[in-house]
Amino acid sequence: MPKIAFDKIGRLLQTLPRATWKVIRASLPRAYAVSMILIIGWLTWRSVSYLVVSLLYPTEVPAQIADLPTRLDRESLRKEREAWKAVDATDSPRSPLAHYHRLDTWIEPDKFNDCTRGGCHAPLPHSRRKEVRAFLNMHATSMHCGVCHMETDREPLDLIWYDLAEGEPREAPSIIKAYDALTSEAALARLEEPDAALQKELVTLIRAAAEEAHSPRALRELAEHLAAVRPKSSAFAKLIVAARETLPKYFRGEYGAKLAIQDRATGKPLLGHPGTDADVERYLLNRSTLNDDERNELLKKIHPLKRTKPLTCSQCHRDENSLIPFARLGYPQTRVDSLVHQVVIKMIEHIDKGKPFQMPGFVGSRSGESATSQPASP
Amino acid sequence: MRGVDASATKLEHPNVKYYVLRMTLRNRTALLLVFAVSFISVSGITSQSLLADDPDNCLMCHQFRGLSRFDEETSRVRLFFTNPDYIEHRLGPHARLACTDCHERSEVGSIPHAPASPVDCTRQCHLADPTGLAREFSHNNIPPMLERSAHSPEILSKVNNTGGPLLNAGQAQCLYCHDEPLFRDPTGVFPRFSEVSSHIFDRCDVCHVEKVPADIEYYTRHIASRFQPARSTLETAQVCAVCHADPLVMQEHELTNTIASYVRSFHGKAALLGDQTTASCISCHVAAGENAHLMIGQKDARSSVNVANRADSCQSTSCHPGAAKTIGENAVHLDIPTAQGSAEYILAAIFIVLTIFTFGPSAMLVLLDLLQAVVGREHHADLRSRELAENVMRHPEGKERLKRFTPRHRVAHWILSILFTLLVLTGFPLKFPETAWAAALINSFGGLSIARVVHHWSGILLVLGFMLHIVDIFVVFLKRANGLKDEHGHGRWFKAWTSLPMWISPTDLRKSAQLFAYLLFLRKERPSFGRFSPAEKF
Repeated sequence: MPKIAFDKIGRLLQTLPRATWKVIRASLPRAYAVSMILIIGWLTWRSVSYLVVSLLYPTEVPAQIADLPTRLDRESLRKEREAWKAVDATDSPRSPLAHYHRLDTWIEPDKFNDCTRGGCHAPLPHSRRKEVRAFLNMHATSMHCGVCHMETDREPLDLIWYDLAEGEPREAPSIIKAYDALTSEAALARLEEPDAALQKELVTLIRAAAEEAHSPRALRELAEHLAAVRPKSSAFAKLIVAARETLPKYFRGEYGAKLAIQDRATGKPLLGHPGTDADVERYLLNRSTLNDDERNELLKKIHPLKRTKPLTCSQCHRDENSLIPFARLGYPQTRVDSLVHQVVIKMIEHIDKGKPFQMPGFVGSRSGESATSQPASP
Repeated sequence: MRGVDASATKLEHPNVKYYVLRMTLRNRTALLLVFAVSFISVSGITSQSLLADDPDNCLMCHQFRGLSRFDEETSRVRLFFTNPDYIEHRLGPHARLACTDCHERSEVGSIPHAPASPVDCTRQCHLADPTGLAREFSHNNIPPMLERSAHSPEILSKVNNTGGPLLNAGQAQCLYCHDEPLFRDPTGVFPRFSEVSSHIFDRCDVCHVEKVPADIEYYTRHIASRFQPARSTLETAQVCAVCHADPLVMQEHELTNTIASYVRSFHGKAALLGDQTTASCISCHVAAGENAHLMIGQKDARSSVNVANRADSCQSTSCHPGAAKTIGENAVHLDIPTAQGSAEYILAAIFIVLTIFTFGPSAMLVLLDLLQAVVGREHHADLRSRELAENVMRHPEGKERLKRFTPRHRVAHWILSILFTLLVLTGFPLKFPETAWAAALINSFGGLSIARVVHHWSGILLVLGFMLHIVDIFVVFLKRANGLKDEHGHGRWFKAWTSLPMWISPTDLRKSAQLFAYLLFLRKERPSFGRFSPAEKF
């Protein structure tokens, strides 16, 4: 009995490939026919509907022409450059009408900043104090809100860089590292006898810096020129000088990275108030119906790490005991010098005291060497 | 210790600054060399022109893109960013202006700045001329032109865009059309410039770095930029579309959507496909030699697009010299759907209906036929035909005698197929120029100019092929008529005509109905046909 059963199974197994092939062979033309029906049917429908629509409905202006950011409003700040097709359709896209000056790259929204991405705070959140609001917003491209607004008992602040593409901790921005590789004492020694490894390192860093700063032409071309010459040539030496001149001009707060307070437990950047998602959602859903007490209570819950008084400019922009450990964060000394330059400090002092800070020819060169403050009023 | 001695960041070679400038600009600039160099050598530009970059150091703050705020009252972002690359790399004619040439020094001279009064584009600014002296310059010749134009301040002040005003209160109306002017990359006009520019500027540098300091590249870029319109055609359309494609503006000013109709014209299609030489709005709406600010409505007799002047505008030397006067009668701004009742609309409607009724039944037949394959329905008639053909082919003389088409017909069909494919490949991008694939397809033919030639010649050859086919049919018809002369007398012409293989006979109509009935499962047997089925004849 079992033998018969095995024979049957054996015969069945023998016939199985043949039967399967038969089924496949019979199914293939049908599958082909079905797919052709779908393709031809879809194309016919699209074609006929296009012809009818093109006869009955006015032509739309294509996105390459009409899809420009004409107004600079809150919504436009949440969009990336790619959101407007017309911007990429031409070599020199025009800025939104109200902004006369060239705006070839857009203000990059921070996809990982919990304060702004959830719809609570605008990407340019400071709007109260006329004297400083634009200056404060200026820092939003390179610093997370928490740097000034989150409570921490560490002095100087425990900061790390985080990547704007991934939201993860990262090393210092490439432009900072590149400038360090050109100007630090160790770098100067290496540059005495430049070799292919140094050339490769510099080219890689400057290319990355260009990428992170929305690809400015000068950086891109500098990297390409550096890559094209021999490390020991006079051209290379000239380009090193040129690089030292060029890189500081791109310290514009657009590094593809931002500073944030480091979470001691995880080592990751604190990009929002931990454990507040449910309360934030509740607040956003009900904010129009909350009374003042409920609102304040909920806001308190949403901001457990909020400083009672945010940091002031002079707590970081000072030459001694700055709360930001610039050197530890990778800043070259020359850049640190400009961040805590007397001009900046005096300007902050004047604004703090409500006194205008007089401008004419005052800051001297862009490196700020001959700067003197000129108070406008006694 | 980090850092470096300040001297280390200084220029170590007098040529370095210019060297860097050259490197960063070289690949993007162009030159009418002789003109530019002679202009510069005659003028003797001094270093004055090189020193104008940001003398007030405004970029210390304004180079930051985030220097901005949100104005709750107007729901607008106030962006105070100024692109430092513009000044650094001399990207446009305003790059040598100080900020205070446009903005009041008394207002911006202190931080925080005083409330800024609107920029007046007609005020005097100071340009370092080639001799090094500061010369006053102003756009004050523009307002009188605008007053006489279709874009007078009065009209512009009445512009209401959908979604609210586009400019901030007090901003100059110039901003409706203008942003910071750029030198255009002239490699489109002088394609080989990037290859030769390095040699050119290296030679210029020999003298113009130290002995006769001059920003050769700036002046070269300025001059070379003028060999083409200030903006690309597509950018011009973008500028005009801000108002001329805005529903509210069109409604209030009783305008038609001229941008939409422009896009349907060949000019608009070419612009979308990246052609830099095609006509922009300005090409037609500003008379040759006139200033673009003197744009006048078409009803005005002085307008370049007035009916009386249109042909002259089209025939200008820069557009279609030598074209017939009738070129002015072309409906450039014709948007078919909005022109109901016009001859063009009727023609388009006939074309569309014909297309649908030609390809519709064919598509239906194909789909129903495929359905038979899906349900596994055998075509008995086909089987019989196939069996018959196989038997004939097995016969020693069968292969010789069973020829569906002669070589002449086969060649004609291949030529037809190739020409049709070429027409589709070069024509579809023109039909759908806004799609991403259109430009790629056109570029694969070597650009629009070549694609146009291919399209036109394919069309001409196709018509020629059609005419040859008609001649061929006529010859066959005559031969058949002569063969029937004895048998049918005068009736031979009709007999010969109806015996042509592609003649659709009443039998064909009956069998077509039978075929549809079969395909719709209303009939068991598929009808059999002669040499050509009704679908093929149709």
